[in-house]
Amino acid sequence: MEISITFSYNTVFDCEVDDIMSMLSELLRNLFKKRATVLYPEERDKVHVPEGYRGKLEFYREKCIGCTLCYQVCPSYTIEIVVDEKGKRPVFNLARCTYCGQCEDICPTKSIHLTKQFEVISLDKKDLVVK
Amino acid sequence: MATFDIPIGPQHPALPEPLLLKLEVEGETVVGVDFDVSYMHRGIEKLLETKTYFQGLPLVERICGICNAAHGLCYTLNVEKLYDKEIPPRAQYLRLIVEELSRIHSHLLWLGVAAFEIGFNTMFMYTWRDREYVMDMLEAITGNRVTTEYSQIGGVRRDISPELADKLLKTMNVVEERTKYYIKVALTEPTIAKRTQGVGYLSPEDAKSTCSVGPIIRASGIKFDIRADDPYAAHEEVPFNVITYDSCDVFGRVVVRAQELLECVNMIRYALKNLPSGPFRIKLPMKPNAGEALTRVEAPRGELLHYTLCEGTPKPYRYKVRTPTLANLGALRAMLTSKGRYVVNIGDVPIIYGSIDPCICCTARVQFIDIKKDKTWTWTLDEIRNRSRRMRV
Amino acid sequence: MSLESFLFEALKIIFFPGFVFIFILALFYEWFDRKFYAKLQNRVGPLYAGPLGILQPLADFIKLLSKEDIVPKGVDKVLFTATPLFSLSLSIFATLLLPIFSVKGLLSFEGDLVIAVVLLTFLCIITFFAGVASYNRFSIIGAERSFLQLIGYEIPLMISVISVALNAQSVTISSIVSSQKGLWYILGPNILGFIVFIFAAQAELERIPFDLPEAEQELIAGWNIDYTGRRLAMFRLAKNIELVFLCGLAAALFLGGPLGPVVSGYEPILYTIYFIIKSIFVLAILTIVRALFARLRIDQIVSLSWKYLLPLAIIQFLIVRLMI
Repeated sequence: MEISITFSYNTVFDCEVDDIMSMLSELLRNLFKKRATVLYPEERDKVHVPEGYRGKLEFYREKCIGCTLCYQVCPSYTIEIVVDEKGKRPVFNLARCTYCGQCEDICPTKSIHLTKQFEVISLDKKDLVVK
Repeated sequence: MATFDIPIGPQHPALPEPLLLKLEVEGETVVGVDFDVSYMHRGIEKLLETKTYFQGLPLVERICGICNAAHGLCYTLNVEKLYDKEIPPRAQYLRLIVEELSRIHSHLLWLGVAAFEIGFNTMFMYTWRDREYVMDMLEAITGNRVTTEYSQIGGVRRDISPELADKLLKTMNVVEERTKYYIKVALTEPTIAKRTQGVGYLSPEDAKSTCSVGPIIRASGIKFDIRADDPYAAHEEVPFNVITYDSCDVFGRVVVRAQELLECVNMIRYALKNLPSGPFRIKLPMKPNAGEALTRVEAPRGELLHYTLCEGTPKPYRYKVRTPTLANLGALRAMLTSKGRYVVNIGDVPIIYGSIDPCICCTARVQFIDIKKDKTWTWTLDEIRNRSRRMRV
Repeated sequence: MSLESFLFEALKIIFFPGFVFIFILALFYEWFDRKFYAKLQNRVGPLYAGPLGILQPLADFIKLLSKEDIVPKGVDKVLFTATPLFSLSLSIFATLLLPIFSVKGLLSFEGDLVIAVVLLTFLCIITFFAGVASYNRFSIIGAERSFLQLIGYEIPLMISVISVALNAQSVTISSIVSSQKGLWYILGPNILGFIVFIFAAQAELERIPFDLPEAEQELIAGWNIDYTGRRLAMFRLAKNIELVFLCGLAAALFLGGPLGPVVSGYEPILYTIYFIIKSIFVLAILTIVRALFARLRIDQIVSLSWKYLLPLAIIQFLIVRLMI
């Protein structure tokens, strides 16, 4: 095995003390600051979710008029149109949902609403179907 | 002197994305490079042909998570060209605000990644912490942190309320203060200067001949910014400077990106102050007119190009995306193989690679090239299907 | 020697301040390093194993021990097995020289400072052999770099240690320590030597800004890329013990070692506490240096050492020489 080294001394090392000092003072200031990390599962209430967040969706059957517009704009085939006693209506399979919110935007009667709930986890697939 | 190959990637701590750099190394210096980007093929262009234009938007935003606002904006601008309708000015301004916010978050993210590539973990942690201010604002405005989907066909998704505008202005003050601190650190910290100055040299001629885009070409001293050259979303009305720097190295790219952060902050302030009233969205029919459209947008990484061909159906006949990283790969080769004074050390490879802000997943394209026979070809769907079956067995 | 005194000596070697104590101290120092580094960066650091994550290094160690032992194809099997053992045993041996519970270390003889410095060099050479033994491109480059770095920092390190020895007129650690009863050498004329020693220690321990042999972003893991399981656990433990050794050596040479105000009858306990406090102070400085800089390139490290560290060390030596 051959080991060969080449050097390129093309630059000179020069630094000033106060350049390092500005970073050092920032470091020491951060030592006494509150940590930036949110310990998520333990400190669940500290997670700030703003108004208008696109989370788990809710559906109000009484407002729906069965126009199927939500079905037409949904990009990930989350929505299935079924017929019940009041006529056509959507059924949402949240396991497929990408939370793009296009159905909420296009719904003419505001019967779909995306809530602030961001933990959509379930051990049973049936719990993820919104009716 | 004996040379040997060092493979960097497709799995490597410094490269978060699948790219193979085959370095030919002589001692500690790089004498040759060869790369392969085709480790990831997601078929997004093909998938877009199966969806209507309205369904396609969330998918387009997922081409790249970091420059999602630019992709979404480019897509909507492109589709709107097919409709021949005037988009309300308020929507244009709101689009600009979200696009610049997304640029701030992308550049801060890049600063952190660049610091990480040279082993400056503290700076990495600080920039990513401060990026959260911008992410929280994006979340408050659009409803999601990463895939914002703010720009919609015909306008934007939501209006910005006066309270939110106040909050945004306050956040901009914080971001400006932090950015000034990072500029100070990047310009004066001795080890950063040591690792970036004179590294990854790209001469202005090379920058032009390799068709590089974005901060790379601007750091080589050439004024090339789609926002100024081909304004798209209220960029004619909002004043801003195109930042250039002529050191042609990684240090220049740091400076350009850092100065652009301040420029973005000023643009957002101006746009919020001069926000026109009026509607923020118009309703457009599902079916656009038949025709072709081509749009260019200045994504945080450089020029982004979308092309569509429509036959008058709700679905595109063809959709084509050219991402900035693909345009910058030629420049990367030029940087890595520079000779003489700017010869590349192995230790410099990660930061040079990082300096183009690579996003390989949105870059990979399939084409077969036989270099020896100088021949290119593509495969039909059936051939691919046959091959994949064979592999599965 | 009577049976009782023999048993007493054996217990000293095994428990305090011997193997068990060093093992606990090494894990504690790693925890402190990680936690303090995290605090500086506004993070939390190790958290879940034990109170404030204090058992995290132990958990990592046990986890590595329980992993599969892989010997890759093409490695030099003898070296591949021997280097982790050598590295661990040499670093433990070096730590026994430290004056922890009294002015004298567990091993103390005439000229033990020389042995301590030689052991540091040996540890670096073992790093080189470990890199060469595993037949991998990255590890070979890492090994090469560790040697180059040695060329850079070793001479300044030695001169800074020699100037302390010259100040104390002795090359025995115990007499250097006892000569600092009046004034610590860091407050005396040896402040420059302390700075040189800190940087050289950082390079010896392969930490940022001198972590080139195992630079994650460039060489993935550098010289230890092929080592897994037990071997990696040994290397990591050896590195932590080396950390204890270097912090302790800096404390002994510059900060007066275990000396401090004592109540008679409780000397060993108080000495141990003083020693730990002082060496943790050194460790905190090392951690701040790690957080403060970016990684340098190999040619820059060598030129930095020869242009700045070496002249500083020589100036230090001349100052001490003129004062005596």
